[in-house]
Amino acid sequence: MKKWQPYLLLSPLILLGLLFLLGVGNALVQSLGYIPAFNMKEITLKYYRQVFNEPALFASVKVSLVIAAVSSVLAAVFGVVLCAALTANGRVRNKVLQIVRIPILVPHTIAALFIIMFFSQNGLLARILFHMGTLGSQADFPAILFTTNNIGIIMAYLWKEIPFVAYFVLALMSSINATLGEAAENLGAPGIKSFLHITLPLCMPAVNKAFLIIFAFSFGAYELPFLLGATIPKALPVQAYIEYINPDLRHRAYAMAMNGVMLLITLAISAVYYWLSRRTYDKGGNRFGS
Amino acid sequence: MELSLKDISVTLSGEEILKSIDLTIEDGAIISLLGASGCGKSTLLKTIAGIITPSGGSVFLNGSCADNLPPHRRGTVIVFQDLRLFPHMTVADNISFPLKMRGVSKEQCRKTAVELLEKVQLEGYGERKINEMSGGQLQRVALARALAAKPNVLLLDEPFSSLDENLRQDMRKLVLKLQKEYRITTILVTHDRQEALCMSDRIALMKSGKILQYDTPERIYHAPASREVADFFSENAYIDGTVTDHAFTCDIAAFRTEMPDGPYQAVLRPGAVRIGPWDGKRDFQVTEISYRGEDYGISLKDQTNGLVLNTSVPSPCMFKVGDLVSVQLDQEKIILLPR
Repeated sequence: MKKWQPYLLLSPLILLGLLFLLGVGNALVQSLGYIPAFNMKEITLKYYRQVFNEPALFASVKVSLVIAAVSSVLAAVFGVVLCAALTANGRVRNKVLQIVRIPILVPHTIAALFIIMFFSQNGLLARILFHMGTLGSQADFPAILFTTNNIGIIMAYLWKEIPFVAYFVLALMSSINATLGEAAENLGAPGIKSFLHITLPLCMPAVNKAFLIIFAFSFGAYELPFLLGATIPKALPVQAYIEYINPDLRHRAYAMAMNGVMLLITLAISAVYYWLSRRTYDKGGNRFGS
Repeated sequence: MELSLKDISVTLSGEEILKSIDLTIEDGAIISLLGASGCGKSTLLKTIAGIITPSGGSVFLNGSCADNLPPHRRGTVIVFQDLRLFPHMTVADNISFPLKMRGVSKEQCRKTAVELLEKVQLEGYGERKINEMSGGQLQRVALARALAAKPNVLLLDEPFSSLDENLRQDMRKLVLKLQKEYRITTILVTHDRQEALCMSDRIALMKSGKILQYDTPERIYHAPASREVADFFSENAYIDGTVTDHAFTCDIAAFRTEMPDGPYQAVLRPGAVRIGPWDGKRDFQVTEISYRGEDYGISLKDQTNGLVLNTSVPSPCMFKVGDLVSVQLDQEKIILLPR
């Protein structure tokens, strides 16, 4: 019984994992052109070739990468700044922290609605500025939604991800700050130098992990680009979904090949993630690495 | 540098941790803050270093008030109990960290690190990583790093408590040697009475946020200010008595003394109690014997009044539990405390 206990306790996780792998496996098989229900039984790389020959794909990959890279880098930078501010003020366990948590709990769709309400050319901000006389007309408000600059999508991601990074790093940062940061100040380092030389470098493993999580997520997530993005080019997940709902069911293999490309890129990001965690461990920085 | 504390009080989350502490440490002296855990000695150390802000009172360095100096400019350097070495730096980088923070050149940093590694007997370990060093070696690195900061006052927070006995002895010697060599005003926080007695010029004995007595090791041991102080250093017995005309009398002893007339309590340390003579009145019973290597600790109980005395006899022990013995007191070693 003892021997089976761990497996028994893990069974819900294993079950969920299997469902997930089954889905991924099914998609991969379909992307290779094997969908017996539609009488497609030949294994082929044709659909991948089609996907790679499609100029719109590269545009979509680029849009997705730019959105993910810009929002994740900015979220990591400002998340660390927010986290440092929380740590410096000792606001680790009080109401401020509860406020920081709110954006993490709010779904992406709601965040998109917020952004539309506030930042569209018909939004609150445009109206207020118009009525204050700052803008000649509401249309003078810069277009940041549904356009190719994708600023609206990036803003919505930042609203959710800056708190996420701060929250992800906070426990580690406050514990390092209270021990090693305190020691550094005691040895003659002013607060900012102590942060830059001791606290921040030791928090980097956690920051890197947070960055990769949000990067992989914003690269593959569908809601925000769908609700806030431009018509052309579309982000990769949105394009994949559109191909998927094509009325011609035999087109599905093509949609799945597109998903396969996304999977490849996400796997590459995961590989970097494991490489980074491994490196931290080898360096012996694991005492404070999570 | 001379350090003095005037009327320091500290309250943390509503609880008064330190109560009106006054303390002066001469330039170049080493003193101990001795007390059980939770008596406020580490809090006092952090208050001196400016990490904790006192609710009342002031810290003076060489006579000038340091209350407005931020921690990084006080030069009151702590060797923490958990060492707090920086895990992402080499041993040499740890040691030269305080110099780097002051803008000292790389070449000079390296030179100082090599010098200090030699001082703490770790020549050639500079390029090691922190996780490649043993506990005793890490302790030396932490000490070298603190010395690199050229401290005005060196604060040692139970630095040897995690070491085994042999290493602890070595570290004590090393700390004393370097402390004398650099003439750094030093405060050692410890709960080990032996460590305090053998390392300090003076001992401040603390209990519940107060200093009970601040004196030289000899005086604090031989002339304790109160029963609490005497109890910290040995397992004592107490007998009430009175002094009249330069003579102290109590139930089991009478001797001459220079103390003024009045009621007193005699402190009977294990060293003041001897078993014997054989032909004496055997009214004490052996109730407990414990082997301690060098000698045996023995508890004795007076059959008539229940008084319990502790003493020791050299090995091998010729007594067993239940034996009846007579007891002699060494008058020179009896301490009289006014009642």
